[in-house]
Order: sequence, then C-alpha cells, then structure tokens
Amino acid sequence: MAERINFSATINGQKVGPMNLPQDLMMIELLQEYLNLTGTRLSCGQGVCSACRIIVDDPVRGSYTVPACVTGIAWLNGKSVRTIEGIAEQDDQGSPLPSAIQKAFLEHFSFQCSYCTPGFVNAATVLVEQLEGSPIPADKVEDAVLEALDAHICRCTGYVRYYQAVRDVILKTPGLTTENPAATERAS
Amino acid sequence: MTRVLRIFGLLALVGIVAVAALFWIGRGSGDIPPASVDFANLDADQRQKLLTRGEWVAHASDCAACHTDPSGGSDLAGGLPMETPMGSIFGTNITPSKDFGIGGWSADDLYRAVAWGVAPGGKNLYPAMPYTSYHQITRADSDALWVWLMDQRAVDKPNKSNDLIFPFNIRPAVALWNALFRPDAEPFQSNDSQLQQGEYLVDVLGHCGECHTPRNLAYALTDDHLAGAVIENAYAPDLRPDALARRGWTQDDMVAFLHRGLSPQGVMTFGMFPVLSHSTSHLSNDDLTAMTAYLTAGHTMPGPQVRAPTDALSREGQLLYTGLCAGCHGDEGAGQPNSSVRLDVNTTAMYANPLNLIRVISEGIPERDLAQGERMQAMPAFGAMLSDQQIAQLVNYLRQRWGGRPGDVTAEAVGSAIEKRHTTQ
Repeated sequence: MAERINFSATINGQKVGPMNLPQDLMMIELLQEYLNLTGTRLSCGQGVCSACRIIVDDPVRGSYTVPACVTGIAWLNGKSVRTIEGIAEQDDQGSPLPSAIQKAFLEHFSFQCSYCTPGFVNAATVLVEQLEGSPIPADKVEDAVLEALDAHICRCTGYVRYYQAVRDVILKTPGLTTENPAATERAS
Repeated sequence: MTRVLRIFGLLALVGIVAVAALFWIGRGSGDIPPASVDFANLDADQRQKLLTRGEWVAHASDCAACHTDPSGGSDLAGGLPMETPMGSIFGTNITPSKDFGIGGWSADDLYRAVAWGVAPGGKNLYPAMPYTSYHQITRADSDALWVWLMDQRAVDKPNKSNDLIFPFNIRPAVALWNALFRPDAEPFQSNDSQLQQGEYLVDVLGHCGECHTPRNLAYALTDDHLAGAVIENAYAPDLRPDALARRGWTQDDMVAFLHRGLSPQGVMTFGMFPVLSHSTSHLSNDDLTAMTAYLTAGHTMPGPQVRAPTDALSREGQLLYTGLCAGCHGDEGAGQPNSSVRLDVNTTAMYANPLNLIRVISEGIPERDLAQGERMQAMPAFGAMLSDQQIAQLVNYLRQRWGGRPGDVTAEAVGSAIEKRHTTQ
C-alpha cells in the first residue's frame, strides 16, 4: 500500500487541505475525484498532449505549467496552483468574465470540441504573464507563441486559430511587446 | 655567462632538431599496400559487389556521424561540428564533388587519408578523423568504400573552417602529434572467426574506442581500451566485459540495443543516437552478434537484475521521484513501452560518473525515432523547475535506489555539469 502524505495547497486562490492522501496520487485525480474540479482534461496520461496542463505559481520563477496527469501531488504539495476553473474572473453579479485569452479563443473560433482548450488557455495565460515581466519585440511574438503552445495537441482546428488568438492578445495588450503599436498610438 | 649561453644554445639546437625529426616522421604516411582490385577493368558483377561492400563499410565505419550535413540533404556533405577542448572541428565534404569534396581522390588517396590521416597534397588531417582506429582497415574495404563514395551524389558545398584555439589551429603541428601517437597503418589480419570479425567491427571500423577510451593530456587514446571517457560533455561508458556484466548487459540485449536503439538497460542517447541512425541499425544480426561476442568474450553475463538500495533513501529524493518521475516511470521504475524507459535496471544510474543522469534530468531528451520502427516519446527537461540541490537529491535517489552507487553527488557537481553544458553549446 502506498505511503500517505498530508497535502495542502492553494488551488485557484482557495486553501485546500491538509488532506491525508496517497503519496503517489497524480494531480489530475486529486482535481477530478477529490475536489470536483473536472475542467482539467485527462487525455494521453503520459504528459505528451498537454491537454491537462495546469499552472503552478512559483514565488521566485513565476508561473509555469505542468501536466497534471503525470505530476504527483508530492511535487505540488505546499504550492499555489491554478486550473481552468480559476482563470475567468467574476462580474458584480457573480457571473464569469472570461479572461483576455479566453475571450480571444471564443472570438477566433479557436476550438471545436474543446477537449484541449483548458491546456491551451493555461499555457497562453502563462505566456502573457511571462511577457508582462519580460516584453519581447513585436516581430518575435509569433515565434514565442509557437514555442509556448507547440507541445499542445489539438485534433479539431489545426492550431492556426489558437495561435492567431494568442498573437492578437499579445500585440493588443500594452506592455507585452517592446514595440507595441497600441502603446505607440497612446503615446502620440 | 658564455658557458650558460652555449648550453642554452645547444639545448635549443637539440630541441629544434628533435622537433624537425618528429615533424618529418609524422607528416607523411608509410607504405601504401597495393590496390585490391584493378579498378580499370571491373565487370558489372565485381563493381556491384564492391558497391555493396562499400556501403557496408560506410555504415560500419559510421562516416556519416561526422561527415553528415546538419542542414540536411546529404549524409556526406559535411558541416557538423565536433566539440573538443581545443575548439570546434567541422566534418568535411566527402561527396565526389570535384571542387569541394573528394571527387579528385584516387583509391590510394582514400586509403592514405583513412589509415594514415594524410590527405592529398600531404595535408595532415586532425585526429578527429579516427585514423588511429581506422589504421587497421583492410585495403579491400578501403577500396570498396572508395568505389561506393565515388558513386554517391556530388554536393558542391564548401567546407567550414575549423574554429580551434592557438596553437591547435596550426595544422602542420598535427605531424608532431602523429610522430608521438599515431600507430602505423597495418591492415587487419583476420581468420574470419566471429571474435575477430567483432574485433574488426568494434576497434577498427566502428572506432568505438574513439569515444569510449580515455584520452591523455595530449588527447591521444590511452591503453585503458574502452574503459569509459567523457566526450562532448557526456560520459561514454566503460565497455569492458566485467563492466558490461556488472551493469546487467547480455549479448542479446546489446544486439537489440545496437539494432533497435533500446533494451531494458536503456535507450540510445547523446552521441550514441546518431551512431544508431547512421551505423549500427544498418548492420546485420551476424555483425552485431560478432561485435557483442567480442565485447563480452570470456565473461558470464548474468543479465539485468534489480539491485537493493545501497543506503537509506532520502525523503526529499523520494518525494521528488514520486512527484515528477513516477507518473511516467512508475513507482517501481517499470517504465512504459515506447513511452518512458525502465529505471529499475537502467544503466545510466549505475555509472560512477553522474554526468549523464544529471544532464538527462536537467535537459530532457527529445522525442526520438529510433530504428526498426521503435520510438520513444520525449523526456521533459526539469532543469528550470528544479534547483541544483533538488537535482542532486533526485540523482542520488536514483543512484542509491537502482544504481548500486552512493548518494554522493553534490549540488555543486550538478551546477558544474549544467554550466559546462551551457558553455559548450
């Protein structure tokens, strides 16, 4: 029988635990079976397709994603995590307000079946957050988008609409690029 | 004072004479055996046999490992850098291009270059060209290789200049190195036994020792044949029979490893992956059986066995393994076919030198098409997620749990291994 650990974490801003759990539990199972957070999608189960990628917020290195299917709670114990359920904000009425990335995916018809979408949203969100700290030249944005999303597999739309949506968000958001057209316009 | 000057002058003169003598000894080649065939009068059948044998020699000698064009298109057009402590040496164009390759070379020229390290015009090749191993190539194999090379597509692509530090960028100085370290060309005499065929493939054509044998300060091979060495910032392991037996190799597993690129003991990684693609995956079962018979000669090979941990395992290492590795490799290190390797009998944790283990964890391994349809999915890089201390804890956990090694790898050793990698990229 697997050893057990006391697991605590911050998930989507909420304190979780301490919970006494099997030490070898994978994060996807904790999210879906223990916490009823079913938005994170299990697909390949081998850390390859990136559908299940969730965000880890590290106080030192910033945000990054890990595949929840093969990342154990032993690694995430004590850390701060965001899943797809924690990306949208809420308006005054308590209704969800999609993030800029989510909105762009909707507007670009980036997905059809949506199975891979939580992973794309999380990876694109991390990219935007990284660019907030380290903006890049506008002509490097497409390369950065490709690098950030390259490991994410989609079987419906052929990636172009995902990539275009993320590119547009980055180019239209002030401060993410060093030659941002919107920022230039505002300054003039 | 005058006497001191005289002694100094005499010593300088002796030194100059000695250097001149070494230069004279090392710059040229010795005798060239006569061609094995009359090239001018080959019939179609003879020519076809030479082409077939020549292709086999090219594969067995792994010419493409260094002479391939990294931008694609030709396995022989050159341009691949070989990183050495003295700088980068670029593989040359050995297609039959008259202007940029070896299209103007005779069969004698090829033999002289391969076995003696001397190109037409008396130009000394750098010993990155492994003539210290090829020196025993038979004239018949060199001739077959020449016929095959001249039958390949010519690629008119200029060679890249080497990027070596002083004084290694003075090519004639190679003659001095040759005088001290180059063995004479001496065609391999075989009685066609399996062991001798294996020896010819491993030590001559396959030039395995060029990576797996330690080098001295002059970067020449030492007498510790196949005892393991660090090259291009990876550890090429000890291939002596007792070391292979200790790491759980069997002859069958070695044949599978060389043929398909994977076996329970591991997967072709670092410098061995191109060796698989260009060379060993093209060799016959008889060839690989001969090679492995030679490498394991006279030893009992007990096969892979899961070892008991060498010490109490650290809690930190266990949690890192469970949190980041067990999802693919399993709690007991069983792995998954074509997805993640077995760790319980994997040899990488068994080396005294932890370099490869550190690099694999830190850098990951790209998804690979191995050979004969075998594939492995990518191993993620954890270098950015883990501190040097955490990598050391994980490395020590793997070494202790399955490697039969002590958990003595420090965070400093990890940092140094990663830093070296970055400075050689």
